Amino acid sequence: MPSPQTPSVGGTALDPTSLRPPIDDAEIERCEPNMLRARLSALRDAGATMLLDVGAVDYPEREPRFDVVYHLLALPASAATVAEVGRPRRIRVLVGVAGEPPRVPSVADLWASADWAEREIFDLFGIVFDGHPDLRRIQMPDDWEGYPLRKDYPLRGPAREKTPRPAFALKSNVPAGTPPSGAVAAALQRQIAKARGQEPPA
Amino acid sequence: MEVAPGEFLLAKLDDVARWAQSSSVWPLTMGLACCAIEMMSVQAPQYDIARLGSEVFRASPRQADLMIVSGRVAQKMAPIIRRLYDQMADPKWVISMGACASSGGVFDNYAIVQGVDTVIPVDVYVPGCPPTPDGLLYAVTLIQQQIRQGGRGGILARA
Repeated sequence: MPSPQTPSVGGTALDPTSLRPPIDDAEIERCEPNMLRARLSALRDAGATMLLDVGAVDYPEREPRFDVVYHLLALPASAATVAEVGRPRRIRVLVGVAGEPPRVPSVADLWASADWAEREIFDLFGIVFDGHPDLRRIQMPDDWEGYPLRKDYPLRGPAREKTPRPAFALKSNVPAGTPPSGAVAAALQRQIAKARGQEPPA
Repeated sequence: MEVAPGEFLLAKLDDVARWAQSSSVWPLTMGLACCAIEMMSVQAPQYDIARLGSEVFRASPRQADLMIVSGRVAQKMAPIIRRLYDQMADPKWVISMGACASSGGVFDNYAIVQGVDTVIPVDVYVPGCPPTPDGLLYAVTLIQQQIRQGGRGGILARA
Protein backbone atom coordinates (compact mmCIF):
# COMPACT_ATOMS: atom_id res chain seq x y z
CA MET A 1 0.00 0.00 0.00
CA PRO A 2 1.58 3.30 -1.01
CA SER A 3 1.45 5.88 1.71
CA PRO A 4 2.21 9.57 2.08
CA GLN A 5 5.70 10.30 3.33
CA THR A 6 4.61 12.73 5.97
CA PRO A 7 1.58 11.51 7.89
CA SER A 8 1.04 13.50 11.06
CA VAL A 9 -0.38 12.60 14.41
CA GLY A 10 -3.72 14.26 15.20
CA GLY A 11 -2.73 17.41 13.38
CA THR A 12 -0.25 18.49 16.08
CA ALA A 13 2.52 20.84 15.07
CA LEU A 14 4.91 19.02 17.40
CA ASP A 15 5.25 15.97 15.20
CA PRO A 16 8.74 16.19 13.70
CA THR A 17 7.90 13.63 11.03
CA SER A 18 5.71 16.32 9.46
CA LEU A 19 8.71 18.59 9.04
CA ARG A 20 11.50 16.14 8.31
CA PRO A 21 12.32 15.48 4.69
CA PRO A 22 12.45 11.81 3.70
CA ILE A 23 15.97 10.55 4.38
CA ASP A 24 15.81 7.37 2.33
CA ASP A 25 13.51 5.42 0.11
CA ALA A 26 11.48 3.95 2.94
CA GLU A 27 7.71 4.10 2.86
CA ILE A 28 6.69 5.75 6.11
CA GLU A 29 3.28 5.22 7.55
CA ARG A 30 1.54 5.84 10.83
CA CYS A 31 -0.65 3.35 12.59
CA GLU A 32 -2.98 3.28 15.58
CA PRO A 33 -1.92 0.97 18.43
CA ASN A 34 -5.05 -1.16 18.17
CA MET A 35 -4.43 -1.66 14.44
CA LEU A 36 -0.70 -2.27 14.79
CA ARG A 37 -0.58 -6.05 14.88
CA ALA A 38 -3.03 -6.39 12.01
CA ARG A 39 -1.06 -3.92 9.91
CA LEU A 40 2.33 -5.46 10.67
CA SER A 41 1.22 -9.03 10.05
CA ALA A 42 -0.34 -7.87 6.77
CA LEU A 43 2.98 -6.31 5.79
CA ARG A 44 4.80 -9.46 6.81
CA ASP A 45 2.50 -11.62 4.72
CA ALA A 46 2.98 -9.18 1.84
CA GLY A 47 6.74 -9.87 1.86
CA ALA A 48 8.28 -7.79 4.65
CA THR A 49 9.95 -10.87 6.09
CA MET A 50 12.65 -9.02 7.97
CA LEU A 51 12.26 -6.77 10.98
CA LEU A 52 15.52 -4.83 10.93
CA ASP A 53 15.03 -2.90 14.13
CA VAL A 54 12.50 -1.45 16.50
CA GLY A 55 13.15 2.02 17.82
CA ALA A 56 11.42 4.51 20.04
CA VAL A 57 11.35 8.30 20.29
CA ASP A 58 10.33 10.42 23.26
CA TYR A 59 8.46 13.66 22.55
CA PRO A 60 7.82 14.90 26.11
CA GLU A 61 5.44 17.70 25.10
CA ARG A 62 3.39 15.68 22.70
CA GLU A 63 0.38 13.46 23.21
CA PRO A 64 0.87 10.56 22.62
CA ARG A 65 4.30 10.99 24.13
CA PHE A 66 6.18 8.12 22.51
CA ASP A 67 6.64 6.86 19.00
CA VAL A 68 7.59 3.25 18.46
CA VAL A 69 9.14 2.75 15.03
CA TYR A 70 9.28 -0.57 13.18
CA HIS A 71 11.85 -0.83 10.40
CA LEU A 72 10.85 -3.50 7.92
CA LEU A 73 12.66 -4.87 4.90
CA ALA A 74 10.97 -6.77 2.08
CA LEU A 75 13.57 -8.87 0.32
CA PRO A 76 12.52 -10.16 -3.10
CA ALA A 77 11.37 -13.74 -2.65
CA SER A 78 12.75 -15.17 -5.87
CA ALA A 79 14.09 -14.53 -9.38
CA ALA A 80 14.43 -10.79 -9.22
CA THR A 81 16.34 -8.46 -11.47
CA VAL A 82 19.60 -6.98 -10.24
CA ALA A 83 17.88 -3.65 -9.78
CA GLU A 84 15.25 -5.22 -7.56
CA VAL A 85 17.83 -7.00 -5.43
CA GLY A 86 19.77 -3.78 -5.04
CA ARG A 87 16.79 -1.80 -3.86
CA PRO A 88 14.69 -3.94 -1.53
CA ARG A 89 11.48 -2.36 -0.35
CA ARG A 90 11.81 -0.61 2.99
CA ILE A 91 8.81 0.14 5.17
CA ARG A 92 8.77 2.16 8.35
CA VAL A 93 5.72 1.96 10.59
CA LEU A 94 5.29 4.53 13.34
CA VAL A 95 2.87 4.08 16.19
CA GLY A 96 2.11 6.69 18.81
CA VAL A 97 2.03 5.28 22.33
CA ALA A 98 0.38 7.04 25.27
CA GLY A 99 -0.29 6.24 28.92
CA GLU A 100 1.90 5.46 31.91
CA PRO A 101 3.32 2.94 31.50
CA PRO A 102 2.92 3.25 27.75
CA ARG A 103 1.65 -0.02 26.33
CA VAL A 104 1.87 -1.42 22.84
CA PRO A 105 1.27 -4.98 21.59
CA SER A 106 4.38 -7.11 21.08
CA VAL A 107 5.30 -8.50 17.67
CA ALA A 108 7.86 -10.97 19.00
CA ASP A 109 5.73 -13.83 17.68
CA LEU A 110 5.78 -12.38 14.15
CA TRP A 111 9.54 -11.71 13.97
CA ALA A 112 12.03 -13.30 16.35
CA SER A 113 14.23 -10.25 16.00
CA ALA A 114 11.59 -8.20 17.82
CA ASP A 115 12.37 -10.04 21.07
CA TRP A 116 15.55 -8.23 22.11
CA ALA A 117 14.64 -5.01 20.32
CA GLU A 118 11.46 -4.72 22.38
CA ARG A 119 13.34 -5.58 25.54
CA GLU A 120 15.78 -2.77 24.79
CA ILE A 121 12.95 -0.27 24.35
CA PHE A 122 11.32 -1.49 27.53
CA ASP A 123 14.67 -1.10 29.29
CA LEU A 124 15.47 2.41 28.10
CA PHE A 125 12.00 3.97 27.56
CA GLY A 126 9.75 1.97 29.87
CA ILE A 127 7.34 1.08 27.09
CA VAL A 128 5.58 -2.16 27.94
CA PHE A 129 5.08 -4.66 25.12
CA ASP A 130 1.96 -6.68 25.85
CA GLY A 131 2.42 -10.36 25.05
CA HIS A 132 6.21 -10.30 25.01
CA PRO A 133 7.50 -13.71 26.17
CA ASP A 134 10.33 -12.39 28.37
CA LEU A 135 10.09 -8.66 29.05
CA ARG A 136 13.16 -7.97 31.21
CA ARG A 137 15.81 -5.28 31.17
CA ILE A 138 18.54 -6.11 28.68
CA GLN A 139 21.24 -3.41 28.99
CA MET A 140 20.84 -1.75 32.36
CA PRO A 141 21.23 -3.78 35.59
CA ASP A 142 18.11 -5.71 36.60
CA ASP A 143 17.52 -3.55 39.66
CA TRP A 144 17.88 -0.24 37.80
CA GLU A 145 15.26 2.40 38.51
CA GLY A 146 13.99 4.69 35.80
CA TYR A 147 14.29 4.70 32.03
CA PRO A 148 17.48 6.48 30.92
CA LEU A 149 16.55 7.42 27.36
CA ARG A 150 13.46 9.35 28.41
CA LYS A 151 14.02 13.05 27.97
CA ASP A 152 13.16 13.80 31.60
CA TYR A 153 15.80 11.37 32.90
CA PRO A 154 18.76 13.34 34.32
CA LEU A 155 21.88 12.79 32.25
CA ARG A 156 24.11 12.10 35.23
CA GLY A 157 21.53 9.85 36.87
CA PRO A 158 19.11 10.61 39.73
CA ALA A 159 21.74 10.01 42.42
CA ARG A 160 24.27 12.55 41.16
CA GLU A 161 21.87 15.02 39.62
CA LYS A 162 22.22 17.44 42.54
CA THR A 163 25.98 17.15 43.07
CA PRO A 164 27.89 20.09 41.64
CA ARG A 165 30.03 19.50 38.60
CA PRO A 166 33.68 20.58 38.83
CA ALA A 167 34.26 24.21 37.90
CA PHE A 168 36.27 23.37 34.81
CA ALA A 169 33.37 21.33 33.45
CA LEU A 170 31.10 24.37 33.48
CA LYS A 171 33.57 26.60 31.71
CA SER A 172 33.91 26.79 27.96
CA ASN A 173 37.31 26.20 26.46
CA VAL A 174 36.70 29.13 24.14
CA PRO A 175 37.23 32.55 25.78
CA ALA A 176 34.54 35.16 25.31
CA GLY A 177 35.01 37.33 22.25
CA THR A 178 37.08 34.75 20.38
CA PRO A 179 37.26 35.74 16.73
CA PRO A 180 36.27 33.23 14.04
CA SER A 181 38.59 30.31 13.55
CA GLY A 182 40.31 31.64 10.43
CA ALA A 183 41.28 34.80 12.30
CA VAL A 184 42.66 32.70 15.18
CA ALA A 185 44.87 30.73 12.79
CA ALA A 186 46.09 33.94 11.18
CA ALA A 187 46.88 35.46 14.59
CA LEU A 188 48.75 32.29 15.52
CA GLN A 189 50.80 32.44 12.32
CA ARG A 190 51.66 36.08 13.04
CA GLN A 191 52.81 35.13 16.53
CA ILE A 192 54.92 32.26 15.18
CA ALA A 193 56.47 34.53 12.60
CA LYS A 194 57.16 37.15 15.27
CA ALA A 195 58.77 34.58 17.53
CA ARG A 196 60.98 33.42 14.69
CA GLY A 197 61.86 36.99 13.82
CA GLN A 198 60.35 36.66 10.35
CA GLU A 199 58.18 38.99 8.36
CA PRO A 200 54.56 38.37 9.48
CA PRO A 201 52.34 36.87 6.75
CA ALA A 202 49.81 39.18 5.16
CA MET B 1 73.81 -13.64 37.26
CA GLU B 2 75.35 -17.02 36.85
CA VAL B 3 76.41 -19.22 39.72
CA ALA B 4 79.01 -21.81 38.84
CA PRO B 5 79.01 -25.28 40.45
CA GLY B 6 80.43 -25.08 43.94
CA GLU B 7 79.58 -21.40 44.36
CA PHE B 8 76.62 -20.08 46.30
CA LEU B 9 74.75 -16.89 47.14
CA LEU B 10 73.58 -15.61 50.49
CA ALA B 11 70.31 -13.66 50.69
CA LYS B 12 67.42 -13.06 52.99
CA LEU B 13 64.50 -15.34 52.17
CA ASP B 14 62.17 -12.33 52.26
CA ASP B 15 64.14 -10.57 49.56
CA VAL B 16 64.28 -13.63 47.36
CA ALA B 17 60.56 -14.21 47.74
CA ARG B 18 59.80 -10.59 46.92
CA TRP B 19 62.12 -10.69 43.94
CA ALA B 20 60.37 -13.80 42.64
CA GLN B 21 56.93 -12.38 43.32
CA SER B 22 57.67 -9.04 41.70
CA SER B 23 59.02 -10.78 38.61
CA SER B 24 55.85 -12.77 38.00
CA VAL B 25 52.96 -10.37 38.41
CA TRP B 26 50.26 -12.06 36.41
CA PRO B 27 47.50 -9.73 35.24
CA LEU B 28 43.84 -10.58 35.04
CA THR B 29 42.18 -10.20 31.66
CA MET B 30 40.08 -7.13 32.47
CA GLY B 31 39.80 -5.21 29.20
CA LEU B 32 36.65 -3.10 29.35
CA ALA B 33 36.96 -0.66 26.45
CA CYS B 34 39.43 0.94 24.07
CA CYS B 35 42.23 1.06 26.67
CA ALA B 36 42.24 -2.71 26.36
CA ILE B 37 43.69 -2.32 22.86
CA GLU B 38 46.70 -0.52 24.34
CA MET B 39 46.87 -3.19 27.02
CA MET B 40 47.00 -5.84 24.31
CA SER B 41 49.77 -4.01 22.50
CA VAL B 42 51.73 -4.04 25.75
CA GLN B 43 51.62 -7.78 25.52
CA ALA B 44 52.61 -7.82 21.85
CA PRO B 45 56.29 -8.03 20.79
CA GLN B 46 56.82 -4.31 20.25
CA TYR B 47 56.43 -3.47 23.94
CA ASP B 48 56.68 -7.02 25.28
CA ILE B 49 55.52 -6.98 28.87
CA ALA B 50 57.17 -10.43 29.13
CA ARG B 51 60.36 -8.52 29.92
CA LEU B 52 58.75 -7.79 33.29
CA GLY B 53 57.38 -11.29 33.71
CA SER B 54 53.78 -10.16 33.34
CA GLU B 55 52.92 -11.63 29.96
CA VAL B 56 50.62 -14.33 31.32
CA PHE B 57 47.17 -12.76 31.20
CA ARG B 58 44.97 -15.06 33.24
CA ALA B 59 41.31 -15.61 32.56
CA SER B 60 40.75 -16.79 36.13
CA PRO B 61 40.98 -14.42 39.10
CA ARG B 62 42.36 -17.28 41.21
CA GLN B 63 45.56 -17.25 39.16
CA ALA B 64 45.99 -13.49 38.86
CA ASP B 65 47.92 -11.01 41.03
CA LEU B 66 47.17 -7.80 39.20
CA MET B 67 43.95 -6.35 37.85
CA ILE B 68 44.45 -3.85 35.04
CA VAL B 69 41.11 -2.06 34.81
CA SER B 70 41.41 -0.81 31.25
CA GLY B 71 38.36 1.10 30.12
CA ARG B 72 35.22 2.77 31.40
CA VAL B 73 33.41 0.87 34.13
CA ALA B 74 29.68 0.60 33.50
CA GLN B 75 27.35 0.54 36.47
CA LYS B 76 26.40 -2.97 35.45
CA MET B 77 30.07 -4.03 35.38
CA ALA B 78 30.95 -2.62 38.82
CA PRO B 79 29.60 -5.51 40.92
CA ILE B 80 31.33 -7.96 38.58
CA ILE B 81 34.66 -6.16 39.00
CA ARG B 82 34.20 -6.17 42.77
CA ARG B 83 33.45 -9.88 42.73
CA LEU B 84 36.48 -10.69 40.57
CA TYR B 85 38.65 -8.56 42.84
CA ASP B 86 37.36 -10.43 45.88
CA GLN B 87 38.08 -13.73 44.17
CA MET B 88 41.72 -12.83 43.51
CA ALA B 89 44.10 -14.36 46.02
CA ASP B 90 46.00 -12.02 48.36
CA PRO B 91 48.30 -10.21 47.87
CA LYS B 92 46.77 -8.43 44.89
CA TRP B 93 47.26 -5.16 43.08
CA VAL B 94 45.12 -2.94 40.89
CA ILE B 95 46.11 -0.60 38.07
CA SER B 96 43.47 1.90 36.99
CA MET B 97 44.34 2.44 33.35
CA GLY B 98 43.21 5.61 31.62
CA ALA B 99 40.97 8.56 32.35
CA CYS B 100 37.71 6.61 32.35
CA ALA B 101 38.75 3.95 34.83
CA SER B 102 40.34 6.58 37.06
CA SER B 103 37.60 9.22 37.06
CA GLY B 104 34.87 8.40 34.58
CA GLY B 105 36.66 10.46 31.95
CA VAL B 106 34.40 12.15 29.46
CA PHE B 107 31.51 9.90 30.48
CA ASP B 108 29.95 12.06 33.17
CA ASN B 109 26.64 10.23 32.92
CA TYR B 110 24.30 7.81 34.60
CA ALA B 111 25.75 4.67 33.09
CA ILE B 112 29.44 4.98 34.01
CA VAL B 113 31.06 4.61 37.43
CA GLN B 114 33.00 7.81 38.17
CA GLY B 115 36.30 6.11 38.96
CA VAL B 116 36.88 2.43 39.68
CA ASP B 117 38.37 3.39 43.06
CA THR B 118 34.79 3.76 44.30
CA VAL B 119 34.51 -0.01 43.87
CA ILE B 120 37.96 -1.49 44.54
CA PRO B 121 41.20 -0.06 46.01
CA VAL B 122 43.59 1.13 43.33
CA ASP B 123 47.41 1.03 43.61
CA VAL B 124 48.49 2.90 40.50
CA TYR B 125 46.56 5.31 38.29
CA VAL B 126 47.77 5.66 34.71
CA PRO B 127 46.64 8.95 33.13
CA GLY B 128 45.90 9.19 29.43
CA CYS B 129 43.12 8.63 26.95
CA PRO B 130 44.32 6.05 26.28
CA PRO B 131 47.66 5.89 28.11
CA THR B 132 50.62 4.90 25.99
CA PRO B 133 51.80 1.32 26.38
CA ASP B 134 54.95 2.78 27.95
CA GLY B 135 52.74 4.35 30.61
CA LEU B 136 51.21 1.00 31.44
CA LEU B 137 54.65 -0.66 31.49
CA TYR B 138 55.82 2.02 33.91
CA ALA B 139 52.80 1.35 36.10
CA VAL B 140 53.73 -2.32 36.24
CA THR B 141 57.28 -1.40 37.26
CA LEU B 142 55.81 0.76 40.03
CA ILE B 143 53.86 -2.26 41.23
CA GLN B 144 57.11 -4.25 41.16
CA GLN B 145 58.84 -1.56 43.21
CA GLN B 146 56.03 -1.73 45.76
CA ILE B 147 56.41 -5.48 46.02
CA ARG B 148 60.21 -5.33 46.38
CA GLN B 149 59.86 -2.74 49.12
CA GLY B 150 57.48 -5.03 50.98
CA GLY B 151 54.23 -3.31 50.01
CA ARG B 152 51.11 -5.41 50.24
CA GLY B 153 48.97 -3.37 47.91
CA GLY B 154 46.81 -0.35 48.57
CA ILE B 155 49.64 2.17 48.24
CA LEU B 156 48.65 5.04 45.99
CA ALA B 157 50.99 6.04 43.19
CA ARG B 158 50.70 7.81 39.87
CA ALA B 159 52.40 6.36 36.82
